[in-house]
Amino acid sequence: MAENIQANRDAKHGMALAVTLWAIVLVSVAFFFKYDLPELASNRQSQDTLYYAILGVTGVAYIIVHCLFAFYIWKYRHRDDAEGSYWRDSHKLEVTWTIATAVILVPIVFAGLVIWEDVKAAPPEDVFTIEAVGAQFQWDMRYPGPDGEFGAWRPELYTLENYLGIDPDDPAGNDDLHLINQIVLPVDQPVRIMLRSKDVQHAFFLPNFRVKQDVMPGIETSVWFTPTKIGEYEIACAELCGLGHYRMRAFLSIRSQADYDTWLTEQSQAN
Amino acid sequence: MSEGHDDHGHGKQSFISKYIFSYDHKMIAKQYLTLVMFMAVVGGSLAMLVRLQLGWPGQHAQFWETLFPAGMASGVMTPEFYVMLFTMHGTIMVFFVLSLGPVSGFGNFLIPLQVGARDMAFPFLNMMSFWTAFPGAIIILISFFVEGGAAASGWTAYPPLSAIRSAIPGSAMGQTLWIVGMIFFIASFTMGGLNFVVTILNMRTKGLKMMRLPLTTWAQFLVGILGLLAFPALAAGSILLLFDRGLGTSFYLPAGIFIGDTLFPHSGGSPLLWQHLFWFLGHPEVYIIMLPALGFTSDIISTFTRRPIFGYRSMVYAIVAIAMLSFVVWGHHMFVSGMSPFLGTAFTMTTLCIAVPSAVKVFNWLATLWMAKIQFTTPMLFALGIVSLFVTGGLTGIFLGTNVVDIQLHDTYFVVAHFHFIMAGAGLFGLLAAVYYWFPKMFGRHMNERASKVHFWFTFIAYYGVFFPMHYLGIAGMMRRIYDPNTYDYLKPFQNVNTFISISAFILGLAQVIFLANYFWSMVKGKKVESENPWHANTLEWSTPIHPGHGNWPGEIPEVYRWPYDYQHPDEEGDHAPQWQPPAKVKAAK
Repeated sequence: MAENIQANRDAKHGMALAVTLWAIVLVSVAFFFKYDLPELASNRQSQDTLYYAILGVTGVAYIIVHCLFAFYIWKYRHRDDAEGSYWRDSHKLEVTWTIATAVILVPIVFAGLVIWEDVKAAPPEDVFTIEAVGAQFQWDMRYPGPDGEFGAWRPELYTLENYLGIDPDDPAGNDDLHLINQIVLPVDQPVRIMLRSKDVQHAFFLPNFRVKQDVMPGIETSVWFTPTKIGEYEIACAELCGLGHYRMRAFLSIRSQADYDTWLTEQSQAN
Repeated sequence: MSEGHDDHGHGKQSFISKYIFSYDHKMIAKQYLTLVMFMAVVGGSLAMLVRLQLGWPGQHAQFWETLFPAGMASGVMTPEFYVMLFTMHGTIMVFFVLSLGPVSGFGNFLIPLQVGARDMAFPFLNMMSFWTAFPGAIIILISFFVEGGAAASGWTAYPPLSAIRSAIPGSAMGQTLWIVGMIFFIASFTMGGLNFVVTILNMRTKGLKMMRLPLTTWAQFLVGILGLLAFPALAAGSILLLFDRGLGTSFYLPAGIFIGDTLFPHSGGSPLLWQHLFWFLGHPEVYIIMLPALGFTSDIISTFTRRPIFGYRSMVYAIVAIAMLSFVVWGHHMFVSGMSPFLGTAFTMTTLCIAVPSAVKVFNWLATLWMAKIQFTTPMLFALGIVSLFVTGGLTGIFLGTNVVDIQLHDTYFVVAHFHFIMAGAGLFGLLAAVYYWFPKMFGRHMNERASKVHFWFTFIAYYGVFFPMHYLGIAGMMRRIYDPNTYDYLKPFQNVNTFISISAFILGLAQVIFLANYFWSMVKGKKVESENPWHANTLEWSTPIHPGHGNWPGEIPEVYRWPYDYQHPDEEGDHAPQWQPPAKVKAAK
């Protein structure tokens, strides 16, 4: 019996565990310097700022708690003959660390609420509106054309050819521009994307723009942002939508106003 | 103590009434654990296949075709097979392993023993509970073999994917069986929860006040309440989903759904309703999985530090607070769903509140380790592992609970990493710690020490190896549930991370074979336990004979004189004073 406990007490496992924990902290933290968010290309800088702030706070907590934890495991690993301790409670300590945790969290919550309100606020007046429709497994995009208005659509009109259910009798739709899996936008121009789904749930995810919004059948949602960097980016579906979920990929091209205008003219002529 | 109390008060039992339709909570617990281990092998194997695909996307190996002629035709995994794999991995692990194991398994085993009762309050209901979970598990397993395969809409089963048969192959018969299996599971869990709550409230032995309960039993008590209040929401939700699928109702289906070449005639429903109902259960569910693990951790740490658990009262308050808050945070799963932004604000505040009691628990564990005399038994190693996983997973919860940061990280591998640390990790390590700790009580034998230690080391290190790098993938923007991340140019540079994760996952999977072999081998051949209380612990289960019979104590049920954490008490002789030992002064007076 006594032997069994003795074998169990084997302090070398304590030493190994402490060292392992320290190593895990070292390695896991180091890689945060290597792996970062995708390059930011929109005005949503504040989301990143909060992300880095939380990364800092939780990173410090992660390091301190783990190192202390490992230190106790190391220090108190083999003390059969040491004097015991019957210290079982401290009201003062409990209150201190409860309040301390709360105090650290309050600014995070507060900053979060302020930025959230910003992100969810109504878009500026000069916002340019386009439409993205999710369907298994592609994104159908629509631009309102020179008249600035979208043509009407009705689900009853859906066919494999008229895949957006466009009403042919609505003149507003005549100049609408239709694109599949592709959006082209001018830089520095606020854009609002109206989102709807034809079938199941999807999610409209722009990794470089810090934009993600579920796309639901029966509910029209929208996002707005301002692209700030010229370049070619990818659009992903982030909500499981079926067996082709992984390939529901589209492209977002941000261009200078001049390049965008040229592109738009070309598209209108092709139409 | 000799063996042979098996028939105490019950006469001779037949094989069937003793081992199959048993009323004895200890036998029922063992039945649950056997079922859990089988389901864990299935759920774990599914995860291995998921990692096979992600580690080496589109790899070709002819022999897979013999194993899975449809899913891996010509040796390459199909996307629909992949979706089915992670759907069923999640379903089986969350419900049939991590809920049935620590809760139905160890809750059943420990509650009567720790409160000093001869059995659960309703033994027949308890037997029924297992025999309801069992067919539920069978139905889930059968669903792999029906037309279209098992369910493939994620473990969250969001409609319309789960409601419309033509949306994905798994949404045919497989999804129906998924719902039926879940309803069986919920019925079983509700019966269990009722037993937990009633037994703990009404059947405590003399002297066992609520504030003298071990933290394990406190956790099981709260889990019983959570289950009773949360699971009915999913039961109702699932039945409505069944109606949408089979009877043409429109609870979750709005007008204008067009799939294939068909416009569906539904109108007026909302897929958001399912999300609310699902997560109203779903969030308490993660605490149903976690709280028992935290209870085991507290008790095991106290035993093997030979120290009272620090801040017992605040530990109880913390889990009560966590349990209550768990009902008002479900919306944090829906920040980008399109629900009102005001709700997003409210759910951020409630969610981050949970960080406070969680941090209190960690600080209390640290304080318990201070000046400890740590004994590195296998259960202790796993309990310490839980503390580490809980810290890591808890901190990443702050990112996801903050709605603004969640926009980017939602539905990425950051989330997968987060919940595999906090919920799955704590749950799995809790289950393993509990098996190692209570094995001597369950079977009267010890598990092989060397194999146990090897198992711990591979499991702990591989666990970090699998799940920590997933944070990096999530930060880089890799979505969950995608069959081939290399479809996206921006994810191509991270294939090496995925390969590393897969290799770690195979090591983690193989390490569990050591455990299973050790478990079944030790049950028959393990070193025999020589005293009732091999760990020198204080809780009441260790006052029963080495082989407790049905009824648990051969004579009177012991009276309880103290809380369960009197280690190194200055007024007591020896290093521990169990709950059933009268206080020193009383002893002196006698």
